[in-house]
Amino acid sequence: MIKFWNKRAQLGVLTEKPELEESLKKIHKEIKENVKKKFAGSLAIRMVDSGSCNACEAECNALSNPYFDLERLGIYFVASPRHADVMLLSGVMTFNMTPHVKEAYEQIPSPKWIISMGDCPMMQAPFEQSYAINAPVTKHLEVTHHIAGCPPNPVEIMEGFLEFLQKI
Amino acid sequence: MRFIARFCKEKRECFEIVTVYEESTKIEEISKESPRIKTLAKKEPSAIWFERKMQDDFGIIIEDAFDKRPLVHQERFPRDLHPLRKDFKETQLQEAPYLQYKYEEISGDGVFQVAVGPIHAGIIEPGHFQFSQAGEEMLHLEVRHFYKNRGIEKMLEGKTLQEAKPIIERISGNESIAYQICHRDIYLQATKQNLPLSLRKRHALLLELERTIHHLTDFGFIPNDAGFGAALSFASKLSEDARRKMNELTGHRFGFEAVSFENGFIDTASFHEWLDDLEKSVDFFEDWIIDIPSLWDRFDTTGVLPLKKAVKYATVGVVARASGIAIDRRINPFYLEHGFSMASEVSGDVAARFKVRLAELKNSIVMMRNFLEEDDTKLEVTEIYDGEYQSFCESSIGELFMSIDINDGVIKRFFVRDPSFMNWQAVHIMMRHDIIADFPLINKSCDLSYAGNDL
Repeated sequence: MIKFWNKRAQLGVLTEKPELEESLKKIHKEIKENVKKKFAGSLAIRMVDSGSCNACEAECNALSNPYFDLERLGIYFVASPRHADVMLLSGVMTFNMTPHVKEAYEQIPSPKWIISMGDCPMMQAPFEQSYAINAPVTKHLEVTHHIAGCPPNPVEIMEGFLEFLQKI
Repeated sequence: MRFIARFCKEKRECFEIVTVYEESTKIEEISKESPRIKTLAKKEPSAIWFERKMQDDFGIIIEDAFDKRPLVHQERFPRDLHPLRKDFKETQLQEAPYLQYKYEEISGDGVFQVAVGPIHAGIIEPGHFQFSQAGEEMLHLEVRHFYKNRGIEKMLEGKTLQEAKPIIERISGNESIAYQICHRDIYLQATKQNLPLSLRKRHALLLELERTIHHLTDFGFIPNDAGFGAALSFASKLSEDARRKMNELTGHRFGFEAVSFENGFIDTASFHEWLDDLEKSVDFFEDWIIDIPSLWDRFDTTGVLPLKKAVKYATVGVVARASGIAIDRRINPFYLEHGFSMASEVSGDVAARFKVRLAELKNSIVMMRNFLEEDDTKLEVTEIYDGEYQSFCESSIGELFMSIDINDGVIKRFFVRDPSFMNWQAVHIMMRHDIIADFPLINKSCDLSYAGNDL
């Protein structure tokens, strides 16, 4: 245990250290303010994968690493759609997932929004229309905001959340 | 003879059933009018998913199979459609009436079913797990996937090898480099070219970097599933650093489009520096984590896959090596010259898989040092010859197998078997002696891909 505390003292605080970009700092501040104003300090997101390549999920997981630590801005990934304000949707909306995505959306209490992420849901990724794909997602559900990228990196996702917060 | 894959090809006059073993390939021709085969699953239990997939995709009847349920086609999929047949051209399907899928269930006094998924509580991919429970104890688990089926095999037909690459590298994001290397090998076979050593080293470096990222991510998530969150913070920092290195080398955080025939600039000095730092961090991590008894209480003897079963189910990769099977596609002179040593454990539990990952990560660091060099070799791409090609690659999960038939310069049949496809079929064995609360831990210790499995 002593070793661990030594290491901790050596490493210090990682968050907000990377690149120390002013823009990143600004995004943090604005997100925090927006979440506070519009969602009483906590924005709950339910991430649903409708057939991605799992890179989008990896980037969402990266949002909670010590560099980005999204939760301190009041944005949480929650375990159930019933706890959520927003559905974050990735993937090409496969034929097999379509009914499940719709059901998950129905389970979210109103008011509710959808943010789509990555190029897949809008059919802009290299994947082509096939019998097993129901994209674009806009055919089935109303999307409030789209975060482009294949996959969008964590900073882009944070920027996307901010744009969404400014939109509504 | 280790079983690797079994799949179907549609020829003009017949269907060809190809069964790939480690040392040989068997081909069986069956008529199109009554496509029937005998099951292989009585001898090779993992053949059952391949056969059920064939049954869905091509309408091949498996005469004496003990399991004839659909695999890829789910409750609302139109009946009697076989999308991989050449005469199937539709690109949009209408939902058919709901037809209940019959799960494997154990019934009895007090035995109940727990259905989990396809959407899980967390940021992970969709898949369904059906447990038969006696109180907390798992009696049986059925893994049901293919929610993410994107029809990739069909999508790639009629494309050239170059056109197919952007799709192939996006089949499974965490194994992208491995998929690209399989594609590269087929490309080289089809153009009858040899790869210059320096390019081979660069690609191998990227593959080891991908493995590093994958294993580092797992060092966070596996302890986290046992309730030890500090490891997640520590390891996710390291994996983010590694991902940024990937971005620095290839211009993409997952290395999409990275395996090309052109050698780019590598800042070797800073890379060496990062490797030294990483090595220190990993040593610290090992020293620290090995000393947490409550964690190893959860890891040891949990989710055991005995050697006998691991062999029987033809498992591959980390799962197989943790159960004592010596298989690794990197056992070849090229890798051995660059410092490869195979990691192996015998107990087959979560702890063994964790330790195999640790050993592999350390070995990857050694190999990355040896692969690192500055070079600007280029390979000119020449004409592609028609033929049937196969390639293998050891991804961060295990052995990846790809088979591409080229006719008139375009892909006629694309088939890929992700390592996850084999290992998912063995996951239910690991649940035999554990409680349901251990399931996330066991599942994560294998860390299999859903996207690569579903295609």
